[in-house]
Amino acid sequence: MASAYGVEHVVGAACKEPELTVTGYIQHHLTNLTLGKLPYESEVWTCNADSLVWDMPKVVPADTWTFAHGSSQAADMGFWALHVDSIGWSIFLGIVFITVFRFAIAKNTDTPTGLQNFVEMCVEFVNDNVQSIFTSAKNPLIGPLALTIMVWVFLMNLMDLVPVDFLPELAKAAGIEYFKVVPTTDPNITLGMALGVFILIIYYSITVKGLKNFVAELTLHPFGKWLMPVNFILEMVNFIAKPISLGLRLFGNLYAGEMIFILIALMLFFSSFAIGMMGFGLHLLWALFHILILALQSFIFMVLTIVYLAMAHETEDH
Amino acid sequence: MNINATLIAQALVFVVFVAICWKYVWPPIISIMEEREKRISDGLEAAKKADDSLEEAKLAFDKELNQAKSEAAGILEKANARASQIVGDASSKAEAEAEKIMTSASTTIENETNKAKEELRQQMSEIIIDTTQKILGDEISPEKHDAILKKAAEEL
Repeated sequence: MASAYGVEHVVGAACKEPELTVTGYIQHHLTNLTLGKLPYESEVWTCNADSLVWDMPKVVPADTWTFAHGSSQAADMGFWALHVDSIGWSIFLGIVFITVFRFAIAKNTDTPTGLQNFVEMCVEFVNDNVQSIFTSAKNPLIGPLALTIMVWVFLMNLMDLVPVDFLPELAKAAGIEYFKVVPTTDPNITLGMALGVFILIIYYSITVKGLKNFVAELTLHPFGKWLMPVNFILEMVNFIAKPISLGLRLFGNLYAGEMIFILIALMLFFSSFAIGMMGFGLHLLWALFHILILALQSFIFMVLTIVYLAMAHETEDH
Repeated sequence: MNINATLIAQALVFVVFVAICWKYVWPPIISIMEEREKRISDGLEAAKKADDSLEEAKLAFDKELNQAKSEAAGILEKANARASQIVGDASSKAEAEAEKIMTSASTTIENETNKAKEELRQQMSEIIIDTTQKILGDEISPEKHDAILKKAAEEL
């Protein structure tokens, strides 16, 4: 019976921790803790810690909610599965954002210090950006939306600076097999937010521009009304590209950053002390450089959201 | 790297957090900041107003001071004029008095002199008459020679 580790399991046979390989290490770091239903019966093998032999596998019947063991099982779960780690961290960091920003101003003073100062700085920064982009139309939702995006995405990105093995190893000790810590390295998270923004774009395009103007914008450009289908296809590509690029840009940057952290961490696999030390140095360097990317990507996500929504509020002449 | 229901879940979570931020996080922060901004600008305006009124007060003060100074100068001038007038009056009065005293004194002196002269003349004429009577005896009587005597007195 093959398992996630690629090891043959025989009940009662001697078992040991699977050997850590470079491929296995990387793959482990890129696999989410996935909760879903497998369409087939699966077995969960456990190594008895006392006798060091394989116990009888626990049989999970088909179509029951379970955690995937390995990326192939996660893929087999299909669409109706949940990356518990990504969404968990996402919700946790969202709560951190709300709590910090809500209670930083509880003790309001006229000479703000520390946290209140920081919070007001963030809000002012976001507000300035919104007001410089949203010149003609006014919408009270855009400010809070942009603030949420910037701070929340920044916090999710910030998890990238936690050394790659710390939290997954802690989770392993708690019996959780996979644990991806940076939500924004999961395309579901970034595209999920982009989807939210996309729905808002459509909503405001229809309510502010009016359905007629919105449709006209999608069909009467760039070739005039006699080539409507061509126009529609071209404009539709343009329109759909907005949320896709928004989500994938963030995902791509963070995924690549995470990947480099993993590769640097791999230097510890070499038994040479010198290379290990170099790994520390590189880790520090990349972390310092990555701070820039983290902040920049959250800022870009926010600014593009504002720009797209501003475009949804503007009516062009046709 | 599977696309699955996490995407929908995240979209929903996104909406929820944006809504919470919209209702409970953004408004209090913004209102605090706006209120403070307003207070600061009000304060600056008040300070500017105070500056202006201080300037005005200074101007008014200067004006009053100048007026008072010129008034004082006027009063001083008047007082000086009055004083010199008083002094002038007093001295002219004194002069007049002195002159009057002098005049009356000289008049008195003249009168006394005249009186003395008259007495002297009288006594002289009596002495002359006495002497002449003694010399001439009864030849000459005062009644007879009154005219001569009178003439002599007038000549004296």
